[in-house]
Amino acid sequence: MKKLLFLLLLVAAPLRAEVYPIGDLDLKAQHGKVVYLDFWASWCKPCRESFPWMNALLARYPADKFTVITINLDAESSAMQRFLDKVPANFDVYHDPSGRLAEQFKLEGMPTSYLIGADGKVVKRHLGFYTKDVERYQREIEGLL
Amino acid sequence: MQLSKKRIAGLLSAATCSLLCTPAQARDEWNVDSAVLYYGESDGRIKLVEPVIAARKDLGDDEIVSLKLVFDALTGASANGAVPSTMPQTFTSPSGKSTYTVAANDTPLDPSFHDTRVAYSMNWDKPTDRTHRRNLGFNLSHEYDFTSLGFNGMWQIDSNQKNTTWSYGANLELDAINPVGGAPEPLTDMLAQDKNSGAESRNIVDLLFGVTQIIDRSSLFQVNLSLSQANGYMTDPYKLVSVVDSSSGQPLRYLFENRPDSRMRSSIFAQYRKMMPSKDILTASYRYMTDDWGVKSNTFDLSYRFRLGERYYLQPNVRYYQQSAADFYRYFLVDGEPLPAEVSADYRLGEMDATTVGIKFGEDIDGRHQWSLRLEQYLQSGDSSPPEAFGQLTQQDLYPDVTATIVQFNYSFVF
Amino acid sequence: MKFTLRWLSICCLLALAGCSSLGVKPWERDLLARDDMLMNADALDLAYDEHIYFSKEASSGGQGFAGGGCGCN
Repeated sequence: MKKLLFLLLLVAAPLRAEVYPIGDLDLKAQHGKVVYLDFWASWCKPCRESFPWMNALLARYPADKFTVITINLDAESSAMQRFLDKVPANFDVYHDPSGRLAEQFKLEGMPTSYLIGADGKVVKRHLGFYTKDVERYQREIEGLL
Repeated sequence: MQLSKKRIAGLLSAATCSLLCTPAQARDEWNVDSAVLYYGESDGRIKLVEPVIAARKDLGDDEIVSLKLVFDALTGASANGAVPSTMPQTFTSPSGKSTYTVAANDTPLDPSFHDTRVAYSMNWDKPTDRTHRRNLGFNLSHEYDFTSLGFNGMWQIDSNQKNTTWSYGANLELDAINPVGGAPEPLTDMLAQDKNSGAESRNIVDLLFGVTQIIDRSSLFQVNLSLSQANGYMTDPYKLVSVVDSSSGQPLRYLFENRPDSRMRSSIFAQYRKMMPSKDILTASYRYMTDDWGVKSNTFDLSYRFRLGERYYLQPNVRYYQQSAADFYRYFLVDGEPLPAEVSADYRLGEMDATTVGIKFGEDIDGRHQWSLRLEQYLQSGDSSPPEAFGQLTQQDLYPDVTATIVQFNYSFVF
Repeated sequence: MKFTLRWLSICCLLALAGCSSLGVKPWERDLLARDDMLMNADALDLAYDEHIYFSKEASSGGQGFAGGGCGCN
């Protein structure tokens, strides 16, 4: 009985984001899928706005053709965890506290996302997240699928 | 009236609550800040209570609209500009219908100050693209003898990956003054009650240019230049200047003051803010102001916020202000000497310095509710025995200290 | 005196403009994004102060609110 209840709770609870260290990120392993790579931080207000939309993308597009990978740039993981406790995320989060990957990508603003084609090449960069532009973002993704 | 009218000085005045990168606020939520201030001067002088409510909403993509409502109720007495005398003095009240008497050796205070004021402001702040932002606002203030309408605009440009922000702002204010009893003919005898019915007016144009620069991860500074040009009725219709006997220094008569009909001011303001590793915050600022009335002032402000855990903070602060007198400021006029074209004995235009010491304690309850309590003490003092005093004037305090206590309670919430 | 003020102001601002080496990367704005680090932190306090000091002194204004913050979007 208890076991059943526990299983039910597990299923009923929203999918929690898995957080990995940045060293574990292997973008090459994603070849064959379109990747929406998003750089975010807990203190970034538009990032908060983008999460429900990114969750919706995962629900909308098939998992074998499309995925969302996010890179968190919080200096303190406690801030990141507090954010993830409050804001549901169904995608993987890679924690990059020293901003190594952000430097590599030469990030110019927060948030920034990259639309990466199935061949691993960056197709589009979004500087900032604007709710009024979500339809355009979706069209760009669909164009690649 | 001088004490209760709120001139929205400069378009970036706090009244408009301009909102760059506002605290984390979701859409469809109103961020409300409410507060009440109690201000009380010593010696039966001015006391006021001022509740304020301000609300802000993010319409999406950082487009923010904000509203603010201010109410203030003021009572008490204010110095009328006349000098004290070893004999009791009688003055006509502003309405012209009654008189009030001041005891010997007391600073003449006009006790008829009570007024209520309502002020409303609205602001619309919106990014036009990634690096440009526009802010437009308007404000309206009304009290018994004074109405003010203001329009403000600001344009902000970000550069250096938003490490630098350049701001250009302008403010236009239109004021209508309806003095109680009418506006007196300048420099006429108080007893003649030579007054003009009908409103007086003035307009003020402000221009502001500012740069905010991020220094490093925990500090930033800002420098602003501002210019202000005011034209129209600048005189205080309730203030007098004593004309004293050239040998005894006893007041013989009182004249209504007169100020120039224009005022051009310029100021430079710099502020530095730094967060310490302990998450304490140091804020220091300096402002230099000069104008064509001859007033020059220096303002130094220093505050340090001690972070006490995640939720509480304690913030002491100190402010030092110093100003030189306006060219046409006089403690008194001497009978027989030629009358200047402009003269005022309003202590607010005199040479003085003022110190404020305060402490603020606050709590962030859960990220969505905050409260704080602020206590301050203000002390303003000038030269009580200026060299020009003679006769009975040497026995008098010609620039009494003004002390005031300020208590303020704030409560903010999101709904 | 007025002349000196103008030149002092210009020099300050030019110095600032030349300070483009100052600043942080876009992802290093965590502390600056905090409510208490915003230039308009405690805006109500500032408005009250402005009202009081405008009523008791001959100077007013000068302060601004733009800049700082998270620098997002």
